[in-house]
Amino acid sequence: MTISPQTRRQFQRFRSIKRGYGSFLILLVLAVVCLLAELLVSNRALLVRSGGRLYFPSYGAIHTGREFGLGYDYEVRYRDLQERFAGRRTGDWVLMPLVPYDPNENCYDGQDFKPRPPDVANRHYLGTDEINRDILARLVYGLRNSFIFAAGFVALTYLIGIAVGCAMGFFGGAFDLGAQRLIEIWSLLPFLLAVIIVRADLPPSVGFGIWVLLLIVVIFSWTGMTYYMRSATYREKARDYVAAAQVLGAGSGRVIFRHILPNILSILVTFLPFSVAAGITSLTSLDYLGFGLPPPTPSWGELLQQGTSNLDAPWIVASAFGALSIILILITFVGEAIREAFDPKKFTFYR
Amino acid sequence: MNNERFPAVLTAIVLLSAALSGCGKGADQQPAAADSAVPATAVSGAQGAAPGAAFPGMEADLKRTLAEESDFYVFKAPGDFAKDTASLTWQDGSDLPEFADPNAQKGGTLNSWIPDFPRTFRTIGPEANDSFRNYLLDDVEPAFIKPHPGVPGRFYPELAQSWAVDRATKTVYFRLNPAAKWSDGVPLTTDDVVFSWYFYRSRALNEPWYNDFYHKTYSRITVYDAHLFSITLAELKPDIEDRAGNVTLYAKHFFGDFGPHWEDRHNWKIQPTLGPYTIRPEDIKKQVSVTLTRITDWWAKDNRFMRGRFNPDRVKLVVIRDPDKAFESFIRGDIDIFPVNSPHFWYDKLPDSDPLVAGGYIAKTKFFNSIPPPDYGLYLNEAMPGLDDLNVRLGIQYATNLDLVCRQYFRGDDVRQQTRSDGYGWHVNTSISARPFDPVKAREYFAKAGYATQGPDGILVNGAGRRLSFTITGANQREKDILSILKEEALKAGLEYTIEILDETTGWQKMQEKHHEIALAALSRSVEMYPRYWEQYAGENAYDVPYLKDGSPNPARKTKPNTNNLTSTAIYELDGLIHSYDHADSMEQIKTLASRIEQIIYDDADWVNGWKAPFYRVAYWRWVKWPAEFNAMKSLDYEQYWLMSVDPEAKKATLDAKAAGQTFPRQILVFDQYKDD
Repeated sequence: MTISPQTRRQFQRFRSIKRGYGSFLILLVLAVVCLLAELLVSNRALLVRSGGRLYFPSYGAIHTGREFGLGYDYEVRYRDLQERFAGRRTGDWVLMPLVPYDPNENCYDGQDFKPRPPDVANRHYLGTDEINRDILARLVYGLRNSFIFAAGFVALTYLIGIAVGCAMGFFGGAFDLGAQRLIEIWSLLPFLLAVIIVRADLPPSVGFGIWVLLLIVVIFSWTGMTYYMRSATYREKARDYVAAAQVLGAGSGRVIFRHILPNILSILVTFLPFSVAAGITSLTSLDYLGFGLPPPTPSWGELLQQGTSNLDAPWIVASAFGALSIILILITFVGEAIREAFDPKKFTFYR
Repeated sequence: MNNERFPAVLTAIVLLSAALSGCGKGADQQPAAADSAVPATAVSGAQGAAPGAAFPGMEADLKRTLAEESDFYVFKAPGDFAKDTASLTWQDGSDLPEFADPNAQKGGTLNSWIPDFPRTFRTIGPEANDSFRNYLLDDVEPAFIKPHPGVPGRFYPELAQSWAVDRATKTVYFRLNPAAKWSDGVPLTTDDVVFSWYFYRSRALNEPWYNDFYHKTYSRITVYDAHLFSITLAELKPDIEDRAGNVTLYAKHFFGDFGPHWEDRHNWKIQPTLGPYTIRPEDIKKQVSVTLTRITDWWAKDNRFMRGRFNPDRVKLVVIRDPDKAFESFIRGDIDIFPVNSPHFWYDKLPDSDPLVAGGYIAKTKFFNSIPPPDYGLYLNEAMPGLDDLNVRLGIQYATNLDLVCRQYFRGDDVRQQTRSDGYGWHVNTSISARPFDPVKAREYFAKAGYATQGPDGILVNGAGRRLSFTITGANQREKDILSILKEEALKAGLEYTIEILDETTGWQKMQEKHHEIALAALSRSVEMYPRYWEQYAGENAYDVPYLKDGSPNPARKTKPNTNNLTSTAIYELDGLIHSYDHADSMEQIKTLASRIEQIIYDDADWVNGWKAPFYRVAYWRWVKWPAEFNAMKSLDYEQYWLMSVDPEAKKATLDAKAAGQTFPRQILVFDQYKDD
């Protein structure tokens, strides 16, 4: 795909805005961390050397306790294995990730289930939650779920929004009027309320995974991009290159996607970070109210809810709130930087 | 707009609006989640005019009913009463101990909270079955007689002055207290008794369960004069007094407009009561608060079993939707009493070292009561594929670590229920008990069921490739922690639990329709002499036609929705025992049958024993006073019998002392005189 000189200049401008570009890099690093979460935050060891063999337990099938000489058939507890090997001095060793806990595992074996403060000696850097689960682990895996949800949210709403909006702008007439009225009515529905009601009344046979939730959320928020796409398409349709393409025999679909869309991409790019933020916020709100992902899926909303009902354990709400604030601030910085970079006027003076 | 296109556009808009208005659900009535073990059986023989006929008005309909059902509503002469009760012994509760403190101080305002504003002030009919009903009916409205909360098997008088039981004729005779009057001054007479039975049995009431119960249970109401009457049961039961006497009444003079859709007309009307509290219209602030006012010249205020109870002059109930927020209100002193049953509140939010507790301003009390607990547990739906195999169910029993939940989540305070019927005052079967967590044993049973190989994710798989995975449905957000713990622990046995927490109404509906695989549920149980089994274990509550003629399972049977048989249990032998049990007329027979029934249920392994708390815990400001034994043995919670009182002077003194920094002796009390062993 060739990048036009204009686009290249816009990217250069984006890079020159230190705050936005820095935030973008940080978010990229976080996304990579989420991708590699199993190598950084997990109760599975990175490397195990035992009996002359090397194991890589992070991905793939589990290893049972029996395989390592422990008397049980469920997945081996690698931290316990590490202690055992340290005691035996046979040259066997276990290399654990930086944060050696799983987001669903109940730590502090044998002790009551209650929140405990950050404990650096035990590597619970942000403490544990109501049922002894490591908070940092739940934050990282929760961020992964948030990113996946946001990515799906943006992809689907933009797909539908672009298709409908461009069609409205291109075909105009009765279709445009009818669709506009439909969209006006549909966008009046209070989004969160509608999602909660549908979620609560779904026949339980449908299931409650992340994809069903995503579908419901998208159904009530696809109307967002249609307005911008519609007006942009109207504007582009009046230009000569569209007429030229049509004269050459291009069909409507080809004109929209091959000719018009690349020219209105800047609008999409400008809105992208804010849509990502909206997706993350929706998922967090739904999880906070209990209408989001099913337990025990790690999610920031669920951590916030735990935090507010355990204000005497302030590390929970501090972690969740802090993480959410940081991510949303970073995304906002990126969004502002893109908006500035794609601004048609090079110099803007605020008077 | 373009003139040519106008008609086309108009057509489009019109068609669009028509299409959109067509979508929309008609108002469907969802039954409120029942909180006691009541089956919603079909109405059988409910009275009422033929469907379609107009309702002739309450008086005319009552007259018609009395004429048509003259074998149910019998009217005799006052002189017959002495004849009919000649050989009977009369009781009036004078030999029973009081369970309240007769010197309790009247007065003051009790500040409390409710989690939601009630949807109606009716005590019966759609949506009336909510927790607010306790303040209108369950805890405050008098019945003829009620079970004595300290002496099991005995009853104390409320509306009745005295009563006599005739087992031979299955009849209980009552003398109404002539002083009894409704809160609007109208005296109580047997007209209200007759009306109440008519009311409960009328189809216009729109309550199928009441219709069914008041038809099935009673065979005759006999009225002798304005204060003498008798109630005859259809069947002789050991708790004949409870069935005949523990009935609350409705005032005839208030329901002159009774008929179809009465519930709409009566939604926000405050009905007259025979009890101590009423609600004045000016004390209702919709969605904000409701205040009860004590009737100072209450007719029963010197009754031996009512004095010393219902002490606060005013009870202010403020709507606070979040329990944590309510707790903050309590800490500030805006609420007087707060239940601290959960370990979260008892140990973490209000520990013994908290300055308010240590300074003696707030007292913490743990009271061991003796009642049947709600039957918490995992209900395995035998109708679902996979769960129909006994070995799978046994494996699940040993793979569910409710021991850990009791030990570490409830901090050792709650314990596991040992049988289906703990807490009735007698040991129903001492040879069965809750199965402990044992992943090795669980794997053995799963292997017997064909799940012998462990998959790459640690979950067992059978020969056909099916994973050992089930969905647990819960209807309460608070349970998510417990279910998460169980899920983690079940992995040790190679079992996967998928957790599904629905909201209360949807979750309960799914369970009632038997669409769940495993349900985490509990039905609360009333204080009775013996447990009930029919609702939850009879085959006819699991399937439409459970068996063939020879007793073997009918292959064409379909699950029956809207019953409390959450496990879809249908065992022919068990049904026979339950039938005998329901028709038994002596306690010895009941105990023998109950023991055998419990054994069969245990062997069928479709209920994983959950937890029970043999106590309840309360925190209160020191101006709230209680009797010396704190509460009644068979109390469900601190509020049920209204034994507390509020001392306004002590309140002022406490708040002044607190402002001045003075402390009082710490009060952390434990009452274990009624503890079950």
